[in-house]
Amino acid sequence: MKRILIVDDAATVRLYHREILETADFMVDEAMNGIEALEKALQTGFDLFLVDINMPKLDGYGFLRELRGQDLPQAPAIMISTEAQTNDERRAYAAGANLYLIKPVKPERLLAQVRMLLGELHP
Amino acid sequence: MSPLLEQFLSEARDFLQGIGEKLMQLEAAPADADLMNELFRLVHTLKGNSGLFDAPEMTRVLHAGEDLMDAVRNGRVAYSRPLADRLLDAMDFVGMLCDELESDGQLGAAHAGDSVRLVDALRHLLQPDDAPAEAPAPESTPESAPAPTASLAEPTPVADTASLPLASIPEAVRMQAYRRACAGEPLSWLAYRPHEQCFYQGDDPFFLARQTPELLWSRIEAREPWPPLAELDAYSCMLDFQLLTAAPRAALEEQYRYVMDQVQTTEVPRLALVMPQGDPNGGPVYDDFAADARRLLQTGDLEGLARNASTLLELSSPDLWIASALRWLQLVLETEPENKAILDALVDCLGSLAAPQWGTAGAAETHTASASTSIRQDPAPRNERGQEAEGVADASDEATPALSPLAADALAAVVAAQGEVLALTDEPRWLPGRLKAAAAALSGCLRATGATAKLQDLEAATAAALARNSGAPLLTWIAAVFPAELVGEPGAAAPVTAAPPSPAHSAPQPPEAEGEIKFGRRAEDAISGPKSLKVDQAKIDRLMNLIGEMVVAKNALPYLAGRAEAVFGVRELAREIKGHYGVINRIAEEMQGAIMQIRMMPVSFVFQRFPRLVRDISRKLGKEVELILEGEDTEADKTIIESLGDPLMHIVRNSLDHGIESPELRRAAGKPATGTLRLRAMQESDRVVIEISDDGKGIDPDIIKRKAYAKGLIDETLLEQISDQEAVNLVFAAGFSTTEVISDLSGRGVGMDVVRTAVEKVNGSVALTSQQGRGTQIRLSLPLSMAVTNVMIVVSDGQRFGVPMDRVVETVRVPRAAIRTIKHSLATVLRGRIVPLKSINDLLGLSAPPKANADDELAVLVVRLGDESLGLLVDDFSETLDIILKPMTGVLAGLPAYAGSALMGDGSVLMVLNVKEIL
Repeated sequence: MKRILIVDDAATVRLYHREILETADFMVDEAMNGIEALEKALQTGFDLFLVDINMPKLDGYGFLRELRGQDLPQAPAIMISTEAQTNDERRAYAAGANLYLIKPVKPERLLAQVRMLLGELHP
Repeated sequence: MSPLLEQFLSEARDFLQGIGEKLMQLEAAPADADLMNELFRLVHTLKGNSGLFDAPEMTRVLHAGEDLMDAVRNGRVAYSRPLADRLLDAMDFVGMLCDELESDGQLGAAHAGDSVRLVDALRHLLQPDDAPAEAPAPESTPESAPAPTASLAEPTPVADTASLPLASIPEAVRMQAYRRACAGEPLSWLAYRPHEQCFYQGDDPFFLARQTPELLWSRIEAREPWPPLAELDAYSCMLDFQLLTAAPRAALEEQYRYVMDQVQTTEVPRLALVMPQGDPNGGPVYDDFAADARRLLQTGDLEGLARNASTLLELSSPDLWIASALRWLQLVLETEPENKAILDALVDCLGSLAAPQWGTAGAAETHTASASTSIRQDPAPRNERGQEAEGVADASDEATPALSPLAADALAAVVAAQGEVLALTDEPRWLPGRLKAAAAALSGCLRATGATAKLQDLEAATAAALARNSGAPLLTWIAAVFPAELVGEPGAAAPVTAAPPSPAHSAPQPPEAEGEIKFGRRAEDAISGPKSLKVDQAKIDRLMNLIGEMVVAKNALPYLAGRAEAVFGVRELAREIKGHYGVINRIAEEMQGAIMQIRMMPVSFVFQRFPRLVRDISRKLGKEVELILEGEDTEADKTIIESLGDPLMHIVRNSLDHGIESPELRRAAGKPATGTLRLRAMQESDRVVIEISDDGKGIDPDIIKRKAYAKGLIDETLLEQISDQEAVNLVFAAGFSTTEVISDLSGRGVGMDVVRTAVEKVNGSVALTSQQGRGTQIRLSLPLSMAVTNVMIVVSDGQRFGVPMDRVVETVRVPRAAIRTIKHSLATVLRGRIVPLKSINDLLGLSAPPKANADDELAVLVVRLGDESLGLLVDDFSETLDIILKPMTGVLAGLPAYAGSALMGDGSVLMVLNVKEIL
């Protein structure tokens, strides 16, 4: 079972994404900020990261930079932003995101993209 | 609250507002198709959004509303007032749920009953017997009666696939379609003829067609030969789209739900696709093959037949007609060997070189009894010619397994994103990690699409990229594996025809189709209107305070310049400071203006609720009222606009309740049965004026007088002396209410005095004029902005006080001799009018007597007090100033004599008088 880490400080958003992903049979873990996410990512591997931008302590960019700076196998990351800003998109890619989505993400679209990144054949 | 919920709630309110407005507008123009579409769209989108949250009651009601609006815009249900009523009720309910979501974060269980009741009410309107206006369908068979929720042209029971230009579909595509049909998928021919004006409606037909689910083949052609370039109207859509798809009807309905009137679908029986094509020159097959084939077929030796066919196929040129027929034979042997009738017909046609006729037998066999067409009778040959002449190319997707549109989008998005990641030229220390992650994402794409054979190449490219510390090798790999046309645009992965250069390309409209392409908000969800930014009001207020402080700090500069010169004796420096002050002053003023501009709002903000209010109230009262709004885009400061809401509401209710008469009374009085209520906003110099006028019965001064007397507001002498206008103004007196019966609507124990108080609170004034039998007019006059107060500074007993300029009439110097004492009060005559005088020192409890100037003249500040003028005796006048007035706070708030205080440039505090209170 593929493991996905949701990194977001908003509980509702975590819940929202968790529900989408769990109904599609992914194993989900959560982190409330970049620091917590980094600790979890270094402890156990994940197959995909769903990362919010604005978070206390360490934001999404910071988390991704730290993560990509590790000499480890790298899993794809989706950065989820609240506002559409092209600058953010470039920043996200530069930090190490592999996809940039804007909230709210429709469940079916999110799932299609998650499956694509994870290399799962589409049902 | 989660950002999602917050976003939803704020958006939902906009939508509800929009829905209410559109319903009101529909009432005036019930046949406006654009309005109905817009209304449907709003309800639909709101429903979709609500689905994100655990609010089944809301979604349920909205869903019913959506279905109802769908029926209305398709003409299945006639628009009516009760219908609008129920929809409005439903939207009120949704609004209430939104409020609850906002305050509690969730919905209580108590709403289920209400929602069911509302849904029933809405669904009830969908019943055909509620729409008697609808003409019965010509062939009134039960099946053809319009179903309440059906959409898209229902197939009519006439099977005529022969008229479809199926022959123009390439054989390989037809075979693929055939296979899918054998697997149980429905095949549909879809003809989409967009409105010529569709680009103006935000449609993007090309995009919509390309996004068709399960698209197998498509073609675009011009409806008529293209006119010369000079005459070509690039903004009119002259294209026809024809598509073959394996999507179920429901999916097509969903895809084309906004243009259902422009789409016709026809079910395609799979046998209609079995159509050998090619060069007939090779002649029929050899007799012995035909004889063998028949024999093998009869004996049931299908393997033998397949072997023979395969051998003969190898020997024949693939372009020949018989080769095509053989390929079909092979396909049928492979997919449905049990279907002898088809095999027989194919073997027969090998001998006769005539296309097999799949008549009723074939159709019945393939369970397509309901196969049908409602397509325009476009003769196929013309199509084919047209196709060749215009160089329309067919393209089909044979190589890769068909991805669902969603998956194709995901693929395109992921590949495009990796392209961007890899194209970045910065070299941070985490670059290797970034490259690895991109490679992982691309590997996902390969595995997800089943192209695992290419994984090795990817690994090699990744290694090269890591070795060179650059994304270039992976970029090259992407370009080779995912060619640009596949990912150039997300969604382009679906097979499509290469289109001729068409207006569709140049149309700057946003994509209309399903929106699967946009991440986040769907394009169709965008509310048409000016682009704006939502900013928390607290931020603007902060900005306002800051600029206020800056204005004060700026005002310290001239003082500083004065000190530099007077105290330190550096005149040069003083001059420079003054020069610089001019610059800062200009910038600060502009900045102040700009910030105030941000706070400006159109009065439509308060006006917009009145159409609904007037409609509801007038119907409740059994009156007919037409509301006219004028000058809605007049702007004023947010505080002012917001303060208008309650007074206006009260005045309008009064007009409806007491002013405008019932239709019978109006007719009896010789007036039109429908009353008119007019709300008019305009700007008059630095004030915004709102006039509320009705053509009702007006105010009877005698009734007012008697009432006022009965309530003890006036005594007997006044009762005799008072003029009609003064009597009418008594309605503003506190505790005055004229209605005999306190109705549900107005007269809740508060009268016009509340209006007056509210308006005066923001330095406004209210005036009322009435003509008995003709109507009443109320005029509110308010300042444009409250942020900056213009005050005149006066000096008395050595102290400086501010007086708001909107109170000041004039400043005069009156010789002491011209001041008379009348009944212990001072007064003087100014331009033939007696002006009472009061000494400001007396009013403020200062003991010093008024000071006169050298000519023994006293300074008199004439101020306005209601309709009267009054003179304030002060010692001297000083300059006028723009100040930021801060209300009195703490214990000082209990001092009504002062409107507030302001900080001056030299750091001193200026007290601003509340003139009305001290007099």
